Amino acid sequence: MIRYFSQHIGNFILLILLQVLILNNIQFSGYINPYLYVLFIILLPFETPKWLILVLGFMLGFSIDVFSNTIGMHTFATVLIAFLRPYILKFIAPREGYETGTRPNLKFFGFEWFFKYAIILVLIHHFALFFIEAFTFHQFFATLLRVILSTMFTLLLIVLSQYLTLKR
Amino acid sequence: MRNLLKLLYAYHFLILFILLEGLALFLIIENNHFQRSRMLEFSQGISGGLYKQVDNFKSYLALKETNQALANENTELRNKLASIRKIVKEKKDTLFDTVSRKTLAYFAAKVINNTVQKQFNYLTLNKGTNDGIKKDMAVITAQGIVGVVIGVSDNFSTVQSVLNRDFKVSVKFKKNNQNGSLTWNCLSPSICILNDILFHVKVHIGDTLVTTGYSTEDVNPAKHTPLVPSAFPEGITVGTVQEFDLKSGNSYTIKVKLANDFRQLNYVTLLEKLTKTEQQELEIKSEHD
Repeated sequence: MIRYFSQHIGNFILLILLQVLILNNIQFSGYINPYLYVLFIILLPFETPKWLILVLGFMLGFSIDVFSNTIGMHTFATVLIAFLRPYILKFIAPREGYETGTRPNLKFFGFEWFFKYAIILVLIHHFALFFIEAFTFHQFFATLLRVILSTMFTLLLIVLSQYLTLKR
Repeated sequence: MRNLLKLLYAYHFLILFILLEGLALFLIIENNHFQRSRMLEFSQGISGGLYKQVDNFKSYLALKETNQALANENTELRNKLASIRKIVKEKKDTLFDTVSRKTLAYFAAKVINNTVQKQFNYLTLNKGTNDGIKKDMAVITAQGIVGVVIGVSDNFSTVQSVLNRDFKVSVKFKKNNQNGSLTWNCLSPSICILNDILFHVKVHIGDTLVTTGYSTEDVNPAKHTPLVPSAFPEGITVGTVQEFDLKSGNSYTIKVKLANDFRQLNYVTLLEKLTKTEQQELEIKSEHD
């Protein structure tokens, strides 16, 4: 249990560092910013109390905000997906439900399920984030394009990281 | 009470979510300049229409005073015109062409909402981008300065009043050009505080203060733009010295009575400095050199 716990804390710190030190500096053609840190919310175990996911989401978003000087924006988007995660998990549950001892990752549920799960969360997160950043629906499609391109890139990183950790 | 607690427990997830999202939104609007001004513009579009109706009625009641003020201004302008005519007659042959060097553009607008009792006071005007109003234009009346435009929507604009904790303007004494910066102390809607006047300057009660037109430091520390040329041209009346003391060492703390009565603003004039960008570019360039 403690090993499990410390592993998630390690994830938390590692993802924040990766995000603020490396990924925040990546900006292809002004459209693509990957936000890999949502992986933390995605990988939390099924048994995590719902309120705890919210609190962790808030802490995660706020940490990213502090480092990228966008107080509140990442917090908003991350708390939103932390709130929606239980409902999405229920929505895409396999017919026999989630067995105890399994975790929401690629290893246990395979590529198709994991990809579906990740794309919903990432898309919602990026949508909220980019529209909060623009704070207008004025240039809706320009912002939407940024959302979609960044989502694709974030997903690519998420799937890659899953395959990397699978080997071990 | 028990039922309430039960209810709270039953919906604790949703309540926690709303609280955290609310906190995040609050943080966004508090800390991000851009989102804040967008929010202002948005709420303006809605509230502007309502205020306009209320104001139509209010200005009807104030017609008499407005007429009086306009008549006074007319007289003053006529007097000025007369004296200028005299000069023109005398120097007809050596008159300069002033039109091609126009540096200021004037717009008239009406105040449709105004507060004076808060720490951050704003005015709403009935002109917007459709009428040529832009951000950072100076707002004055015949009496003196009012504020600076900080947000514009299609038909309305928001003005940061002098009575705003973030407002800062560079002013000087009309008689000897000693300058300092004027801020508001959030206490009275007719008093501002002038700092940075050194002890050797002779200050008298009733001295007139006018704007300098110098650059002031940007009030928004997030965007580090060192110099922003003042929206105000030189020589706009600010107010008069009401009280001063030398308690704080080697510079005066001067209480300035504002020339305008902010509780009774009705018609205002907006000024656009046509050479502002040129001044800014030059100053930034010189700073980098």
